[in-house]
Amino acid sequence: MSTYLTKRLLYMLVILFAASLLIFCLYALTPGDFITGNIKLTAERKAELREIYGLNKPVLERYGLWMKDAFHGNFGYSLAQQKPVLQLFSDYIWNSFLLAAVSTFLTWVIAVIVGVISAYKQYSWFDTLVMVAIFAAMSLPSFFIGLFLIKILAVDLKWLPPGGMITTGSNATGLAYLKEVVRHMTLPVVVMVLLGLGSLTRYFRSNMIDVLQQDYIRTARAKGLKERKVLFTHALRNALLPAITLVGFELPALFGGSLIIEQIFNWPGIGQLYMKSFGLRDYPLLMGFTMFIAILTVIGTLLSDILYRVADPRVRL
Amino acid sequence: MRKSTILLSSLLLVGSLLLTACSNNSNTNNAAATDNSATVTAAADGATGSAASSSPAPVPAGALSEPYTATDLSKLPAVAQNRTDTIIVGLTDPSGAFTPYFQESGYDGNVSSLLYASLVTVDEKGVPAPELAESWDVSEDQLTYTFHLHKDLKFSDGSPLTADDVAFTWTIQYDKAYDGGSSLPTLNVKGGQAYKEGKATTIEGIKVIDPQTISVTLEKPNATALVVLGSNVLSKAYYGKDYKFGQLEYIKKLHEKPLGDGPYKLEKFIPGQEVRLVANENYFKGKPKTEHFIYKTSEGDVWQFLETGEVDYASFSATDENIEKLKALGYVNILPYTPSTYGYMQVNLKHEQLKDKLVRQALMYGLDRQSIYVDATQGAGAIANIPASPISWAYTEEGINPYKYDPEKAKQLLDEAGWAVGANGIREKDGKPFSIHYLGSKSKNTDIFIAVAKENFAALGIDFQPEVFADFNSLVSKVEGGDYDLVSFSTSMLTDPADGFMQFFDGEITDYENPKFLELYNKALATSDIEERKAVYKELYQLFNDELPILFTSYKKTVYAYNGRIQNLSVSPFIGLAGSLPEWTLK
Repeated sequence: MSTYLTKRLLYMLVILFAASLLIFCLYALTPGDFITGNIKLTAERKAELREIYGLNKPVLERYGLWMKDAFHGNFGYSLAQQKPVLQLFSDYIWNSFLLAAVSTFLTWVIAVIVGVISAYKQYSWFDTLVMVAIFAAMSLPSFFIGLFLIKILAVDLKWLPPGGMITTGSNATGLAYLKEVVRHMTLPVVVMVLLGLGSLTRYFRSNMIDVLQQDYIRTARAKGLKERKVLFTHALRNALLPAITLVGFELPALFGGSLIIEQIFNWPGIGQLYMKSFGLRDYPLLMGFTMFIAILTVIGTLLSDILYRVADPRVRL
Repeated sequence: MRKSTILLSSLLLVGSLLLTACSNNSNTNNAAATDNSATVTAAADGATGSAASSSPAPVPAGALSEPYTATDLSKLPAVAQNRTDTIIVGLTDPSGAFTPYFQESGYDGNVSSLLYASLVTVDEKGVPAPELAESWDVSEDQLTYTFHLHKDLKFSDGSPLTADDVAFTWTIQYDKAYDGGSSLPTLNVKGGQAYKEGKATTIEGIKVIDPQTISVTLEKPNATALVVLGSNVLSKAYYGKDYKFGQLEYIKKLHEKPLGDGPYKLEKFIPGQEVRLVANENYFKGKPKTEHFIYKTSEGDVWQFLETGEVDYASFSATDENIEKLKALGYVNILPYTPSTYGYMQVNLKHEQLKDKLVRQALMYGLDRQSIYVDATQGAGAIANIPASPISWAYTEEGINPYKYDPEKAKQLLDEAGWAVGANGIREKDGKPFSIHYLGSKSKNTDIFIAVAKENFAALGIDFQPEVFADFNSLVSKVEGGDYDLVSFSTSMLTDPADGFMQFFDGEITDYENPKFLELYNKALATSDIEERKAVYKELYQLFNDELPILFTSYKKTVYAYNGRIQNLSVSPFIGLAGSLPEWTLK
């Protein structure tokens, strides 16, 4: 196990190094840089600014400088936002995380429950109904359903706020603040759950159907075990195993923010910020954020491998 | 194996983001123009959609030519009704860099314009007017400007504002580490270059005469200097206490803790959500009438916030549809607005075919600009023919060719220029077919342009090759590479009429060489007398209108809709709402 871990960690470092180089080059080679977009500047001023920001250096040298700073824990200043990149992360990522964590949790819980029931009652009216509903939800464009819900629930009925995270100008603290945030996040969470539910439910349903046909389930039933026990202890546990792989993928998604949802619901998350900084070629922020997601991706896969081992003793690492 | 797939997929993700990324910084200022001919005042009875569609006659552009007053304030949502000392305005994306001269985003500029007052402001025509400086003198040779400050000016913390602060503000913009976008360094203050190169410890041209008086000497006369020099003032005690030549990093730490002298001061900045301001009791014109002011970050559509009463003020494109919808709300006042910008197509003068003035004129006649910019945008636009906005003091229509859509005239000009219709219907000259490679930013208006222009150009016998960019930086770098014939741009806000010619001096357009243009341009800057300048600009506009070194396209039209309870509101095309905000009250 420990040799495995050392090997994996080494691989991770190599992968991250390669990824950072590739990402850096991709960003640097995209046409236009941070200065280009400002068409008000004279050519001389543009050259001066490129000198100040070091944008006139060769790409590899810039990469080296960035790497050196990164090793010292310095991810630089965002050019457009004029703030340290790490401060921007802490300003925005937690808002994205809140939204993602709650909706992911709800998506998984609902998907497991619905998936198990519809697998158990395969081809029943419940199963058919659920599948139709799920396909319908999956095929809705997020901006459409988002705007539609805002129009109905916020503008017309005024039950929920139309966007943002808190009521503008509110000084609420403690429980009142919590209530405010919950009210504001209801709509975006509903949309995210609706969109994410489909694939996951189908995934659990098919896993469960597979497992229910296994010999050991028949054995369990033949032993005279209660159906509930067969279903939740024997079948569900095995059906959930492949889902561990998904957990690894969820990790970066939890922090990555959702561009469209954040935009529609005016949510102060990192997804919006990232998109904007791409348009502006705000290299330090782009690089910092993409590397952050890359690191989470690598950690996520390692985590899911280890979890797999913990959950299933048959797996050897 | 799986690791590499994951890595690959994350890289693919990055790649696809690169492709789909769209930019917000394309210069799509919500520009507008007053339509001089539109005299039809909209029926003031809260006209409904059906009323509009039943009128068969085309509603003239900008059906709203006068402010419209709310009809039924009782419809105001309760949220807005309950606010008694707070006004909320939407703002796309303030980033938190609230120090003037050091901010990258214009939205931060909106915030800092409320936090900092200027020495000299401009009135609704763009004419300089006193603010922190009660008066100024310009020397006979137009080189030395002397500002006389009001007595007892204070920053919001109560500390005094004196000529030393002004000198400090000007000086740091000449620091070699200064990376902001201020145009002050281009004024060539005497001794500025020496300071920048570290050869001098102070700037020779800047002289503090007494705590209320400061003078500055330029190397070359420049009529824009008054407003550029007379901008915001930074406190030397606050922003300058850690200043050493060549080191400005420390200022970044102060961006979120601004110390100004404007009508409001910062109470709290919540990134991505709100900028909360509170009235400044030390403001030199007296404390503003409304205690709290909030800029709410609201990306994209603001309808939902206006409809639910979460914002009090929002701007919209002046389409008939928007105006009808706003009127139907009943509780908003609507203000037609004319931004100080103009739209144009940059012409690649390196390309042989476009060097010919006749060809450029033919393109102007041959494009149905009325359909593209006015009719298709439901009146949210007007046609531009000179490099100035109709609200500028220099604007004129005298001796200006309106280039009314006239395909026959265009064909005739092309024939004259030697472009004859070839075998396949495409014009040719010296065996080369006439083809136009057009670049535009992705937007609805560009789609309209391409659809109409394709037909227009086909009728003229010109092969039209449009290319659309979702990303503004990519577009600009394509332009810099020279691979284009026409590219659409809009100017940023023009304060001085000279700004309307900026693109000929900032390196963007390098191939227009006309001694007459340079002579007139410099002549207009050599004096600060407005009437004299007006006459020179008239000549310049006539020259440009005939020469067409750029093809003029359109002005945009905007309306502001605001909560009917707000009194004393006006919006200046040059300084936005900052000018009237201290007077705003809630009825």
